[in-house]
Amino acid sequence: MATGKTESFKARKQKLRQSFITQFPQRLGQARELLIHLTPGSDQRERLDKLHLIFHTLKGSGASLGFDSIDASAKAAEHALREVLDQDGQVTVTDGLVAELEQQLHSLEALELALEPPHSHDTGPSFELSTRQATEGHVSKHRQRLVYLCDDDPQLAQELSGQLSCFGYQVIPFMTLDAVRQAFLAKPPGAIIMDVIFPEGRDAGPALIAEMNACLDRPVPSVFMSSRNDFAARLRSVQAGGNAYCPKPVKAVEMAEILDQLTNRIPSEPFNILVVDDDPDVAHFFAMVLEEAGMVTRVANEPEHVPGILECFDADLVLMDLYMPHCSGPDLARLLRQIPGYLSLPIIYVSSETDVDRQFKALEVGADGFLTKPLEPDRLVSEVRLRAERMRTLRSLMIRDSLTGLFNHNTILQLLEVALASCQRARNTLCIAMIDVDHFKLVNDTHGHPAGDQVLMALGRTLRLRLREVDLVGRYGGEEFAAILVGLDLDQAKTIIDGLRENFAAVTFFADGVEFHCSFSSGIAAFPEFSKASTLVEAADRALYRAKHAGRNRVEVAHDKTAAPEDT
Amino acid sequence: MHILVVDDDPLAGEMTVAVLEEAGHTCQFAEHGMQALEALVDPAAFELVVSDMNMPLLSGLELFQEMRSQGLETPFVLLTGDDPEPLRARAPGILACLLKDASMEDSLPRLVEQL
Repeated sequence: MATGKTESFKARKQKLRQSFITQFPQRLGQARELLIHLTPGSDQRERLDKLHLIFHTLKGSGASLGFDSIDASAKAAEHALREVLDQDGQVTVTDGLVAELEQQLHSLEALELALEPPHSHDTGPSFELSTRQATEGHVSKHRQRLVYLCDDDPQLAQELSGQLSCFGYQVIPFMTLDAVRQAFLAKPPGAIIMDVIFPEGRDAGPALIAEMNACLDRPVPSVFMSSRNDFAARLRSVQAGGNAYCPKPVKAVEMAEILDQLTNRIPSEPFNILVVDDDPDVAHFFAMVLEEAGMVTRVANEPEHVPGILECFDADLVLMDLYMPHCSGPDLARLLRQIPGYLSLPIIYVSSETDVDRQFKALEVGADGFLTKPLEPDRLVSEVRLRAERMRTLRSLMIRDSLTGLFNHNTILQLLEVALASCQRARNTLCIAMIDVDHFKLVNDTHGHPAGDQVLMALGRTLRLRLREVDLVGRYGGEEFAAILVGLDLDQAKTIIDGLRENFAAVTFFADGVEFHCSFSSGIAAFPEFSKASTLVEAADRALYRAKHAGRNRVEVAHDKTAAPEDT
Repeated sequence: MHILVVDDDPLAGEMTVAVLEEAGHTCQFAEHGMQALEALVDPAAFELVVSDMNMPLLSGLELFQEMRSQGLETPFVLLTGDDPEPLRARAPGILACLLKDASMEDSLPRLVEQL
């Protein structure tokens, strides 16, 4: 049972994690400042000492507080500095050191630290935008996370590499197995993307990976892509140690998600589980077991509270007792299935019911599984995790835009309704920003559609990385995006979107060796000034329209007095 | 048990304190080796010292050696973000050298409990 004490420890730990997250951009900013002033060839022991301390502290407190994603980069930077500082006498800054620090700092800047387990309303009011966060999207001079991509189709290799570099990876394309083998031996990458069929054979790709990984202690994460989608090809790649398999044509955004997962850039969010049981002790026991496994739980002892809780608690799965007075598990399941948003919400019964017929009857109303008591904690955790994970994957395929990986049009509108309802209850503020790429048609016409797609991906990525986790970002239409910013007023929202606008306008894009720049215009409207989802979106759209007419590359806000349609 | 926690990083130090207090101990916090030595002026004040290894000026290992050279025999636990194995070899008198990561939440109280 959870005691008051463990909670207070949890709360303390949570607070420390929050402080760490708050300070993180600042500390990286300090490191960036020091790094800028390092000139190769000179003795700058003092600066290097300071840098060493920053990376060391990041590594130390990051590890103590369980931010595992920080460890590798901070350690590598610390190590590189240590090596130089440990030399006797003169401490000379080398190009290699600067490049190494640059790469590691860049990786750290691209991290999104999550306060887990995040109590959804407890993320704090602060809005942290690190001042020097990597502006994703341009083919930067920075050394990024190294990925090798090998495909004997040169056009595919080039194109996919270019697109993936928009997602913060340094992707080197190879056209032959020999070339990638040599590069691999010289410097193993962070991950490798490999075609299956080569002139050398129908399984030559997996065969090479198996051969390479056999010489390494820790295999390099590998992703296979192929026009083959047969069982034998998939089996061969699994046996060669492949972590993922993408049938061609490969979408860059999906590949980037896979790379993110494999290289652990974005820590996955904990699962949200709602436990429904009329016996508070049983409910709390399940909740405790699941919390201990890193999940976030809510408990309902009364079935009639469930719909209300689900409105503000984005549950991945509901675990419910089969027998409850007044409203049984199946009744509650049926009730939930009649609410549109919960049609696909996984429901699992927990019961001592062992009669297969009765179990079957209970499942008929649309539940997904049955766990029988007595229930081992390990089994509970693994059953719940398995189903919640699958549900998340399925859901993300349904609700996301395939080019940018952002929420699609319908989903962002639904999320706006949900966010509005929760803001109404909590008397919180909310802003919606409609963002539209300027002269997008011109980009497509001048530089081609792949360049246009690159711009959209880069903007999507920028929005997702630069806004907070509580903010919601969607692709609203062709080149129009919508961002829902919770807890901010109009001025704060304008400052943030304006900052993003300036950064985005500074991004350099490349298409066929030609450099070009893009900008966006944005219109913002705020709740409660506009109280309904439809009026909010309309007001923001009108403000966007004004921004376009006032010369583009600017942000306009909607006020009540401008709410009436203008005669134009 | 009354424990002196030494760490140049306040966040990591706070975390160590939280872990120990959670296990029912009381703690005092020192931000660097010199502050620790000042706190240790009364040799009976603490039953245990838990110190970070890598600190500017005075490292955890140096703090330990300094304590012993002053005749302070308080049991000493070293925390490090690097591989603890070589450190253990360098300072045989140290009670334990623990890896400073999430596992510390369990390993540290367990160790202290055995004292």
